[in-house]
Amino acid sequence: MLSGRSAGTQEVEMEFRSYAPAWCPGVFAAAMGFTILGSSALPIPAQVDSPAPAALTAKADSLDLPDAPVPVASAGSPLDPGERVTLQSSFQPPAQNPTPSTAPSLGDLGLTPADTEGSAARQALFDRRTHMLKMHQRLGLITVIPVAAACITAAGAPPKHGDFSNTTDRDLHIALGATSVAMYAWTASYAIRAPKVSNEHARGGVKWHKYLIYIHAPGMILTPILGAMAFNQINSGQKVHGIASAHGPVAIVTAGSYGAAILAVSWPIHIKF
Amino acid sequence: MKSLSLLTIALLTLSTFAPACAQAPDQTWSLDQSTLTYHMSHPMHEVDGTSHAARGKGVCHAGQCDFLVAATVKSFDSGDSNRDLHMIQTTRGAQFPIVQVRFRLAQASLNSPALDCDLEVLFAGNTAHYTHVQFHQTIEGAAHHITGAIPATLSDFKIEAPSFLTVPIKNAIPVRVDMVWHPS
Repeated sequence: MLSGRSAGTQEVEMEFRSYAPAWCPGVFAAAMGFTILGSSALPIPAQVDSPAPAALTAKADSLDLPDAPVPVASAGSPLDPGERVTLQSSFQPPAQNPTPSTAPSLGDLGLTPADTEGSAARQALFDRRTHMLKMHQRLGLITVIPVAAACITAAGAPPKHGDFSNTTDRDLHIALGATSVAMYAWTASYAIRAPKVSNEHARGGVKWHKYLIYIHAPGMILTPILGAMAFNQINSGQKVHGIASAHGPVAIVTAGSYGAAILAVSWPIHIKF
Repeated sequence: MKSLSLLTIALLTLSTFAPACAQAPDQTWSLDQSTLTYHMSHPMHEVDGTSHAARGKGVCHAGQCDFLVAATVKSFDSGDSNRDLHMIQTTRGAQFPIVQVRFRLAQASLNSPALDCDLEVLFAGNTAHYTHVQFHQTIEGAAHHITGAIPATLSDFKIEAPSFLTVPIKNAIPVRVDMVWHPS
């Protein structure tokens, strides 16, 4: 236990304790008669270490930190020492840690308060990120429906046998395509606006999920543009030509990469019930 | 007379350190290597997250040894950074960044091949107790190799089970333990 002492002081003291000789108790008994004189002549460890608790408590109060986790040993359990330490460390208030006074503390492990202190604000950031990515996931899965439907209705979109007047199938395809693009943009907005909580490079499936953005995002812009060009050409009685004829292949690549992006964050899949 | 003065000084000096002697640990233990692996199970996914960053120390006093093992929540790596960040969020790892395990053993039992431990686990802001958790021990020289599993569950720590495609993960998240301790 740090008991309000600096970690360095405690390490020195622990080191001394480790090397304390076996005859120590006997000498201790013999020296009892001189304790008063001895304690007045030289500072004992407790005197060296004692002043810190008030300052540390004040620090803990001023940081406005979230409540520290409270380890509670049930009564009668082997972990219940029947005594309480005054202050285990600078970030845990007294009367919240019933661990034995001889038990090691986080400070003994070399963990600093910076390592062990939590942040409610940071947790809120994580919560917000997760909420937004859940929305991203949900909308992304819903978007599969209009994308798939647009791909299916694409078969009926071109004029059949030179009949440019029947526009029902084409209009349906356009409506589904437009819905797909709108849903896609809505889905993407949640991922874009989600707070960044780590600067580490992406690892695992999410890395491929992000790489695939470079395919389906331009595709989602290009596909409706090419589709509009093809639509105008058909409406003016022309056969689809030029760059507009790439509408179909671009749409297929876009839809394929979109599906792959969904699989990437779901992979590997092990069906087990 | 001179020898009496020397004796007095010697005893005075020793009396100064007497409180330290009275509390001196009989033995300390340090954790040299560790692998902690949680397992998460979902109908579509089986995931293991591993940490090699645990730190530990044991202090023996009056025949009883108190051990503490701690690791940061963010040190667990499942191979997918997005999943790891989601794990931190779900387990409130930003607010409670450390997972701690405390246990006490009789010093006389430290060399036995089977260790029966009562664990106190502090995780996600909640404390759970696991009694009679069995660990297997092999001793090679000064190295004490401990293996076992902690039968942790999400509900023990009031963690809401995350879901994928509306199906939540299983409540059980057993943690495999593989550690090497050294007396010091």
